[in-house]
Amino acid sequence: MIYNFEIKNVYIVVAQILLAMFFSSLIIILLGASPLEVFKNIFNGSFGKPEKIVKTFLIFLPISLASLALIITFSTGLWNIGIEGQIVLGAIGATVIAKSFLGETTLSPLYQIIFGMSFGALWGLFCALLKVKFNVHEIFGGLGLYFVGSGAIIYLILGPWSKEGIASTSGTDIFNKASWFPTFSDLNIPALPIFIVSIILVISIIFLGFTKTGLKLKATGANPESTEKYKFNSGAYIFIAFAITGAIAGLAGVFQASVFHHKLVPSISGGYGFLSILIVLASGKRIIPTMLLALFFSAMIAGGSQLQLRLNLHSSLISIILSSAVFFWLVVNSEVFKSKLNKLLYKG
Amino acid sequence: MPFETSFITVISLSAPIILVVLGETINEKSGVINLSIEGTLLITALAAFAISVTTGSPFIGFICAGIIGSFVGLLIILCDTKLRMDQIAVGFILTIFLGKLSSFLGQDYVRIPGPYFQKVSIPILKDIPYIGPSLFDQNAIVLFSFMMIPICWYMIEKTRWGLIIKAVGENPVSAENRGIDPEKVRIIATVIGGFLIGLGGAAFSLHSKFGWSENHTGNYGWICLAIVIFGGWNPIRASMGAYFFGVFQILALKLQSYALGLTQVLPLIPFPLMILTLVFIQRFNKSNKVSNLPKAINLFFGGQEPGNIGRPLEKK
Repeated sequence: MIYNFEIKNVYIVVAQILLAMFFSSLIIILLGASPLEVFKNIFNGSFGKPEKIVKTFLIFLPISLASLALIITFSTGLWNIGIEGQIVLGAIGATVIAKSFLGETTLSPLYQIIFGMSFGALWGLFCALLKVKFNVHEIFGGLGLYFVGSGAIIYLILGPWSKEGIASTSGTDIFNKASWFPTFSDLNIPALPIFIVSIILVISIIFLGFTKTGLKLKATGANPESTEKYKFNSGAYIFIAFAITGAIAGLAGVFQASVFHHKLVPSISGGYGFLSILIVLASGKRIIPTMLLALFFSAMIAGGSQLQLRLNLHSSLISIILSSAVFFWLVVNSEVFKSKLNKLLYKG
Repeated sequence: MPFETSFITVISLSAPIILVVLGETINEKSGVINLSIEGTLLITALAAFAISVTTGSPFIGFICAGIIGSFVGLLIILCDTKLRMDQIAVGFILTIFLGKLSSFLGQDYVRIPGPYFQKVSIPILKDIPYIGPSLFDQNAIVLFSFMMIPICWYMIEKTRWGLIIKAVGENPVSAENRGIDPEKVRIIATVIGGFLIGLGGAAFSLHSKFGWSENHTGNYGWICLAIVIFGGWNPIRASMGAYFFGVFQILALKLQSYALGLTQVLPLIPFPLMILTLVFIQRFNKSNKVSNLPKAINLFFGGQEPGNIGRPLEKK
C-alpha cells in the first residue's frame, strides 16, 4: 500500500527506479548519445530561462489535464485511447466560439470552455454509449471516434474555416485577440489556465477520494461483477466516467487551440493524449505522482527542441526515452518481477 | 484513368494492408490484441528499406522486417504471459516507442533511392483480363499477399491448427482442459501474426509507398486495426475490407481536384465502418446465437468476436 512505509518496501522502490533509469539510459547510449548531456540540455531547455519555464507550463497545462482526465477512466477500469479525439473535439468547440460573433467578446474564453468541455464530453459519451449499449470494446470505439474527429478537423480547416483566400493544412486564421486567454506580465504567463487546472486538480482529488460517486467509479474498475452485489449500475458509472474524462480532455483541447496555437491546426492534440496515457500507466492512477510525471514529461518535450539545436539529435529521442522508461518501469513494477526482486534482496 | 488501370492499382496498393490485416487476424483469433501495429509498421518499413539499401537485396530486407515483426509480437506476448503485464499497455507503449525510434534511426534514409523488387511476369496467366495484369505481371509482393488470403483462410478455418488457435481465443480454460497449452498456442500465433505484420511494413517501403520518410506509414497501423474488425475476424472478409479501402484511396486521389480535403478525409472511412460493424456484431450476435440478420447485411457486418480477446490467461 501507499501508506505502508516499511523500509523494505522503500528499498524495493529505489531498486525499481534505479533499474528503470539504468535501462532507459542504456537505450540512450545505444542510440549514440550521452544520457548526461541529453538531460543537461533538456533541463536547460525547459527551466533555463523564465520564458522557457512559461513554455514548459504551456505544455504542462494540456498534458496535466489529459492525465487527470485519464485517471478517471483508468480508475473505472476503462482504456480511453479515444482521448486524442476528445481533445480534438474540445479544440473544435473552442473554435466554434472563436469563429463566431462571441469570439469578439471579452467573455469568449468562458464560452470556449463551456463549448469545448461539452464537445469533449459528448465524444466521451459516444464511446460510453458504444461500450455500455453495444458492448463495443472502448479501445476500438475510442480509436474510431478519434479518427472521425480528425477527419472532421481536417474538413473544417480546409472547408468552412479555411484561411482567407487559400485553404491550407497549416491551420485556420489566427483567432481574434479577445479569444486568446488573458495573460499577465511581459512573459505572457497564462494565469487563468493555470488557475483552472489547479481547481480541476483539487476537484479531482476530492471527487476520487472522498465522494460516493468517485468511490463507486473505482469500485466499478476494481471489480465490475461486485457492483451488482452492492446494487448499483456499473453502466451508469461508465457513462459518468467518460463524460467527465471527455469534458476535461475537451478543456485540454481548448487550451491547445486558444492558449497555445491561437488557431486550429490539424494536429491540434500534439499527441499529448497518447503521452498522457503513458503518464497514467506509469503513475498507477495516483494523482500526485501523475502531476509530477506530467511536469517531467512537459519539461522533456519543452527541452526537446534544445537537443536538435545543441546536440544535433532528432527530437523524437524525447518520446523514445519517455516510452522506454515507462515500459521498463512497468516491467520492474510487475508482480512477477517484484516478487523476484524481493527474493533477491531478502533471501529467505 | 480507365477502369482496368484503377483495378490493377487497387490490387497492387492494397498488398501491404492485406498482409498486416491477415497477421492481426491470426493474433486476435488466438485472443491477443497486438496494438503495436502502428509502431511495428513504421519500424519494419524502415528496417526493410535500410537493409535492402545496405545489402542491395530487397528480399533480405523483406524477410528481416518479418523477423522484426515476430520479435515485437514475441515481446508483447511474453510480457503478457510471463510478467503478467497488460498486453494492451505493452502494445500501446511499443506503438509510441517503435514509431519514434523509426524517426530517429531513419534520418539517413529519408528520400534516398534503393533496390526494387523485380516484376515477375508469368506467361499466359498474365494475359487474363483484369486478374492477369493485377497479379501475374507485378512484383512478387503483390502475388504473395494475394496468395496469403486463401492460405490464411484455409489454415484458420480448415485445419486442426486453426481450430486450436480459435479454441484458445474463445475459451483458454476449456482449451487447456482438452490438453492444449494455451500459452504456447498464443506465443506461436502472435509470432506468426507478427511476422506477417512485419512483412506488411516491408511491403510499404519496398513496394506501395517506396522509400522512407519520417512517419512513412502514418496512421496505416490504426487503419489496419479497424479493417480487421470490419472483417469480422475472417481473413477473406478482412482482405475484402483492405481492397475496399484501396478503392477509397484511389477515389480520394481522383476526387482531389474537385474537393480539397477529400484526400485526407476519405481514407478515414474505415473507422466509422469499424464502429458500425462492432455495433452490428454485438447487437445481433448475442450469446453465441446464430445471427438473425438478413443474410446480405450479415455477410458484410456480421461476425464473431473471439470470446477471450485482449484478456490475459488465467493464472494456474
